[in-house]
Amino acid sequence: MPDFARAQVRRQWTNFGLFLGPALVLLLVFFVAPVIIDVVLAFTDMGRTLALGKFTLENFERMFTRDTRLLGALGITFIFVVATLSVFNVTFALLLALVTTAVPRRLGAFFRAVWLLPRMSPSVVYALLWLWVIDPNERGLLNQIVIHVFDMPPIDLRNNHPLLVIILANGFIGASLGMLIFTSAIRSIPEHLFHAARVDGAGPLSIVRHVTLPALRWPISYMTIHQSLSLLVSFEYILLITGGGPFYDTTVFSLYAYRRAFETGEYAYGAALSLILVVIGVIAALALWRLMDMRRLLQPPRIEVH
Amino acid sequence: MARIELSNLRKEWGGAIAVAGIDLTIDDGAFVAVLGPSGCGKSTTLMMLAGIYQPTGGDITFDGARVNDVEARGRNVGIVFQSYALYPNMSVLDNIMFPLRFKKVERAEAERRAREIAGLVRVDMLLDRRPSQLSGGQQQRVALARALVKRPHLLLLDEPLSNLDAGLRLTMRTEIRRIQRELGVTTILVTHDQIEATTMADRVVVMNVGRVEQEGAAEDLYERPDTLFVASFIGSPPINLLEGEADGSVIRLHQASVRFAGSARGAVVLGLRPESLRVTEGGMPARISSVEPMGREVLYAAESPLGVIRFLEPGAEPSHREGDSVPLVFAPASAMLFDKSSGRRLDARIVD
Amino acid sequence: MSDDALLGHAATAAGQPDWRALARRTWRTRFSTQSLLLVFLVVVSVPIILPYFWMVVIAFTARTGGVASDVLWTACAIIVPTVLVYSIVHMTVASAGLRLVIGLALTAIAVGLLAALIGERLHLANFRFLTRADFVEELRSKATSGAQFPSVWRAFFNSLVLAVSQTVIILSVASLAGYYISRFAFRGRNGFLQGLLVLHAFPAMTLIIPIFLMLHWIGLLDTIVGVMLVLAAIELPFYVFVMKGFFDGVPWDIEMSAMTDGATRRQAFLLVVLPQVRVGLIAVAVFAFIRAWEEYIFVRTFLIENTNWVMSLYLFWVADDVMGVDYGIVAAVAVFYVLPSLLLYVFCQKYLTQMTIGGIKG
Repeated sequence: MPDFARAQVRRQWTNFGLFLGPALVLLLVFFVAPVIIDVVLAFTDMGRTLALGKFTLENFERMFTRDTRLLGALGITFIFVVATLSVFNVTFALLLALVTTAVPRRLGAFFRAVWLLPRMSPSVVYALLWLWVIDPNERGLLNQIVIHVFDMPPIDLRNNHPLLVIILANGFIGASLGMLIFTSAIRSIPEHLFHAARVDGAGPLSIVRHVTLPALRWPISYMTIHQSLSLLVSFEYILLITGGGPFYDTTVFSLYAYRRAFETGEYAYGAALSLILVVIGVIAALALWRLMDMRRLLQPPRIEVH
Repeated sequence: MARIELSNLRKEWGGAIAVAGIDLTIDDGAFVAVLGPSGCGKSTTLMMLAGIYQPTGGDITFDGARVNDVEARGRNVGIVFQSYALYPNMSVLDNIMFPLRFKKVERAEAERRAREIAGLVRVDMLLDRRPSQLSGGQQQRVALARALVKRPHLLLLDEPLSNLDAGLRLTMRTEIRRIQRELGVTTILVTHDQIEATTMADRVVVMNVGRVEQEGAAEDLYERPDTLFVASFIGSPPINLLEGEADGSVIRLHQASVRFAGSARGAVVLGLRPESLRVTEGGMPARISSVEPMGREVLYAAESPLGVIRFLEPGAEPSHREGDSVPLVFAPASAMLFDKSSGRRLDARIVD
Repeated sequence: MSDDALLGHAATAAGQPDWRALARRTWRTRFSTQSLLLVFLVVVSVPIILPYFWMVVIAFTARTGGVASDVLWTACAIIVPTVLVYSIVHMTVASAGLRLVIGLALTAIAVGLLAALIGERLHLANFRFLTRADFVEELRSKATSGAQFPSVWRAFFNSLVLAVSQTVIILSVASLAGYYISRFAFRGRNGFLQGLLVLHAFPAMTLIIPIFLMLHWIGLLDTIVGVMLVLAAIELPFYVFVMKGFFDGVPWDIEMSAMTDGATRRQAFLLVVLPQVRVGLIAVAVFAFIRAWEEYIFVRTFLIENTNWVMSLYLFWVADDVMGVDYGIVAAVAVFYVLPSLLLYVFCQKYLTQMTIGGIKG
């Protein structure tokens, strides 16, 4: 190969390494490697000592036959995901998007900003506020209203209805993302379509039904899958507000894996449980990717010179 | 079918004035074109008629009743948008039937009426298709059908032909005229294309910066324009505007003067339509500076003692070349004189 | 409002529609629909606004053992009517100047009332955690207090180090990668992009256990460095796409002319292209900073020694230890904690809205 070409090839490779290298390293180390480690770990008996003893299938055996808590966790997960998703993340988000686009623009933007507050605040603070609101003695905000306005004895949501609490808490957060996506979709509907519907005689409800909702079909399906995955996997707020309790009453599957690993020190078992989530996560991620319009993002690059 | 009246209609957006006080009367069954450049307020006026925008001032009356506060859906107006605005998720038939849902028409009857109007507009072959499967011309017809199916008091067309190619434009022009005549519905067309306006409508209203400059039959606007703006907007190729100074009954132009009956002072503009100039023996000398064959005729630009003049000659082949000197004569009766500052036409006859 | 034929109902004997009845009906329905919608929005938003407001109130007024609810309700009793009155004014008064005057007057009245009724309750004692590291032991006897608390400034410093370095890593790595993907055609480019997308959609939280072990084996457990790397890596796919988007928007003739002027690709990148995506860099920096500032789960799992605490952990443990006793301090710490990210949000809003990933705004 002539010198010039060789130099160019070398330059190509250095560029590749320089520009893409750091990203590749970080992603390989912290994304790909952990997946492999998780797979391996699931088949070991690593416990509190963090020592690798032997390779075994007993984690999975335990998972499928002996673990009664797991059954409970699955049930809780199901209720939690379905309830939060259907009530808040999709339905309420849709409602918020529709209502805030129906009122004057500035007002709509203001209320959307308010509903973004939970998602934008640090999780610790948000959880703290929830704890204060549902405080079982008469200092809690909720109880203040219950006692003084409704004249009822104070309620202890945290202990008596913990599932309700986590559904509400995660719901507020979940509604905000859907609200943003749906609002953006509504805004992109050409104005003339609304004008035409108004002149055709459609009232506000008919306009929603015939003009707005059909345009939201794709965002709604995308959000449903995306949010289901998100709810399945995240446990931050649950951990902060109820800790998964009382006992294991609000421990969803993902939190269960976490607690098994970090509270009782059964790292291998936790890894095995997480593996299920990893597999679900990969499948869902692929499904989502299919659903999105990839052509735009994969446009060929501009310059061919290296 | 309704008689429409606009009195002192105004529309302001924040501080910007879109429509600055319009008075207009449109008879029942008339076909009126509102003509003007973009931004002159014509589309805004249309939207106010439809009830989509609320006027800031003034009144809109249908058959004598004030409808300012009546919402769009109560006005029984049909409108065809420039973008057609067909509902993408419905079939053509459903699109056309859509307005009838809100008039409590039974489905069977609604479908019958929709098919009837589809036949009139000639889209009956396409009823099962989706809007995305239609061509521009087809979409427009569907939009027209949708606007007409509710038997509107008023039909509004917003730049209906601007998105179509030349051949289709010709076809749709005749189609729309035919349909309007058959149904007899009061129709208002908004456009920036003067050919569209003059060939389709009975009367033309010329608008500029939110005001009505002039209204009347197309020939009136052509032969007796009230203002410089109307004179230059109507007529293709555009009128020749030659600036000069008037002093008594003589106008001094570029290198010559022209006498006229009447008296004026100050800066004036002489208007000569290219069609009114002829190459004739004994005319003023003009040197051709450009030659443009335009199919049926040839457009020349020439430097004359009055200034740069454009004139036409029939025929596909040019008979003069650049640099040629030709004698030009214009018919004094067809010349127009305008006051430069106000733009108004002066009542004066040229007497060479 | 049912969509029945307005015309059908409102026709006079002459067959002409009754325009006046139609007009009246229109006004009525439009007014009532809008009011209904607004009421709905207010009702659902109150449960969100109230607790945040309460937190601020507690931070500035509560004393040990109390939650200052009376202050809260008094403040609400003053503020809510003020807002209501102003909204009515806003809808009925047409002149903007008059509205402004009335608005200012109302605000003055409200502030005055607040000062009079609540003013004396305001104090800064709850913020003493800023100066005294032993405030926890003060509240609880030494025997019952939890771990030794580091100074809040230590946690603040840790948070700052974490957020800043994570941001720097993200900025550099994502810019380099985003630029390369945007400009170069290389084998496996499509595969790489697809992989990135899958990673972006994939929930990293599921990998917390193996990452924990990995950090332990590398020896980076319980270090800020370890957390910083993990956080950067996890958010990387998203930011690479964002930066790619920004680079895609830079016309490449600028680069080409730089290169024909003699610059190498890398020089062109540094000197010419990078400045063009300044807005993108700022947006990414702000977003990444706030994200790291607010991180809890990963720091909780990976940081153990209390000298390594960041603000989120600090707040959590303060609350855990002290909440039953002194809400005021906890609220004050919370307020102190959110202040930086809040300020960043408010002042950099216009940058944040520039970020898109394939059309879906982030």
